[in-house]
Amino acid sequence: MSNERVTEPEVNKNVNPSDDFDTKETVSTAPESDDSILDFDDDPLSATSVSKKSLVIFFLIDTSGSMKGKKMGELNTVMEELIPEIRRVGEADTEVKVAVLTFSTEVRWMYSNPIPIEDFEWARLRASGVTSMGAAFKELNHRMSRNSFLNSPSLSFAPVIFLMTDGYPSDDYKEGLRELQTNSWYKFGLKAALGIGQEANDNILAEFTGSKDTVVHAYSGGQLAQMIKIIAVTSSQIGSKSMTLSDDTGHEIGEEDVFAAKQKLLGQQIQELVSTQTDGDDVPFDTGW
Amino acid sequence: MFNGFSHSVMGASHEKTNLVCQDSSAFKVGDHYAIAVVADGHGSKKHFRSHMGSKFAVEAAIEAIDRFYEDREAFEKNLPVNNKLIIKNIEKQIISNWNMKVEKHLAENPVTDEEKSKFTPEEFEAILPESYYGSTLVAAVAGDDYTFGVQIGDGSLVAIFDDCKAVMPMEYNESAPANVTASVCNSNAAGMFSSFYAPKKKLIALYGSTDGLYTSFGSEYDFLDYHTIITSQLGNLETFKNVIKNNLAKRSRFGTEDDISLSCIYNEELLNEKLDTLKKKVEENKQAAADRKAALLNKKV
Repeated sequence: MSNERVTEPEVNKNVNPSDDFDTKETVSTAPESDDSILDFDDDPLSATSVSKKSLVIFFLIDTSGSMKGKKMGELNTVMEELIPEIRRVGEADTEVKVAVLTFSTEVRWMYSNPIPIEDFEWARLRASGVTSMGAAFKELNHRMSRNSFLNSPSLSFAPVIFLMTDGYPSDDYKEGLRELQTNSWYKFGLKAALGIGQEANDNILAEFTGSKDTVVHAYSGGQLAQMIKIIAVTSSQIGSKSMTLSDDTGHEIGEEDVFAAKQKLLGQQIQELVSTQTDGDDVPFDTGW
Repeated sequence: MFNGFSHSVMGASHEKTNLVCQDSSAFKVGDHYAIAVVADGHGSKKHFRSHMGSKFAVEAAIEAIDRFYEDREAFEKNLPVNNKLIIKNIEKQIISNWNMKVEKHLAENPVTDEEKSKFTPEEFEAILPESYYGSTLVAAVAGDDYTFGVQIGDGSLVAIFDDCKAVMPMEYNESAPANVTASVCNSNAAGMFSSFYAPKKKLIALYGSTDGLYTSFGSEYDFLDYHTIITSQLGNLETFKNVIKNNLAKRSRFGTEDDISLSCIYNEELLNEKLDTLKKKVEENKQAAADRKAALLNKKV
């Protein structure tokens, strides 16, 4: 005779009522202040941490020779200052990770995988070589995949992709961009770009982001710091926001509409914030350096 | 002798939207075999009875598998030779059982005006009745020296064989259309299952879980290590039950806020024999996790 213990909740009414572990239970009645259910001090299972919904911020940074001097020095400083600010964005409900891809003659990742923001340390960058932007787009396309950088089982927001450059690409950026544009993470990601100095081409940057609203320009060290902070913080805030998948009438709307709404919101907020910035009296990149 | 447990928790996101728990789970210990089952109702607008659909999926799976074990001797004689055909027949039987349960429920509980009120008449007409109940399903079966499982839709299946290593043995059906969520409610559901069969292998523990568990982890390593830790504690299941319950609640609340179900069956004798090795494996896994993290933080530029 078999030892049967069918324990499906609400199905087999012959279940031993004392065996309540096997019946469906919910945590819906536990008030927020009742921490009894959350007493995990002696929980051996806590060795594997709980992962929140994650957001990866990709920084694509031009480290070609023309970035040498004040531009690269200022960029290194502002990126070091920026990390604690982004850390605050992720404190609530989102696990923010950072991936930095540098491109000059070669393309290189700062770390071999996206790093949780609480563990991230900026490695100061040096500038030399030419501007292989197309190669960077191809590398980003390759890594922005469930089989590579975005392989965490936890759910992901569409990534934030932030491009910074001071000049014209030295390779066939259009070919790289065409490859990147086939990538769903790119399509649904929040894209913004920062042109540094006079030589940066806003049209190319708008080709990358898909809209001029998400392209800004910095002509001095002070502006560079302001713009990087505005774009990085605003895009991470919007990127980590759960937007509703239904409209006012209760009809479900597609994910494409949600991502389009986020990209539009990013453009609006960047333009609003940029318009409130003061020029200051710091020296422009292209006159003093 | 097999033993087991199953548990479902409701996700915080479903609390916020006044949805009921869409998951169901169960296990059954039979004569020289055991079954673990979980199901995750789709929960979206057109699947407005999917909490019932997941319950029916769990019932349908246990009833279908049990039927094949009515003559266990003949079943176990045929399984090594005709496993593909037998598993295919189990899948068909599960879908048939599920459809019968849905039809019966719908006949006894016609769609109410309130349920219809969320749709325009045209929208409602376009929904197939079985879609009201749409659900995924993961069912895992252990015999004395073999294991098999079937799955439709998302969810995970983890096995720990006598080498004490946690593995995901499911061989996923690549022919299922990538843009369609496989569901027991699909018109070609019987053809959308994935399955696996592991003969001549001694099993310590076998787990089925809904995707709310998998998505609460930052890496697949952590997900597999979690099952090894649970298995290392099963010798003391009565006291460990609450730890698992609390941990699932924590994973749901602080993770992706989804419903989570976990169902497990295990071989008590082999577990006791392998307890020391399992505990050693847990420590090895911890060290490997620390090594991975250290490697991750190496700068490349």
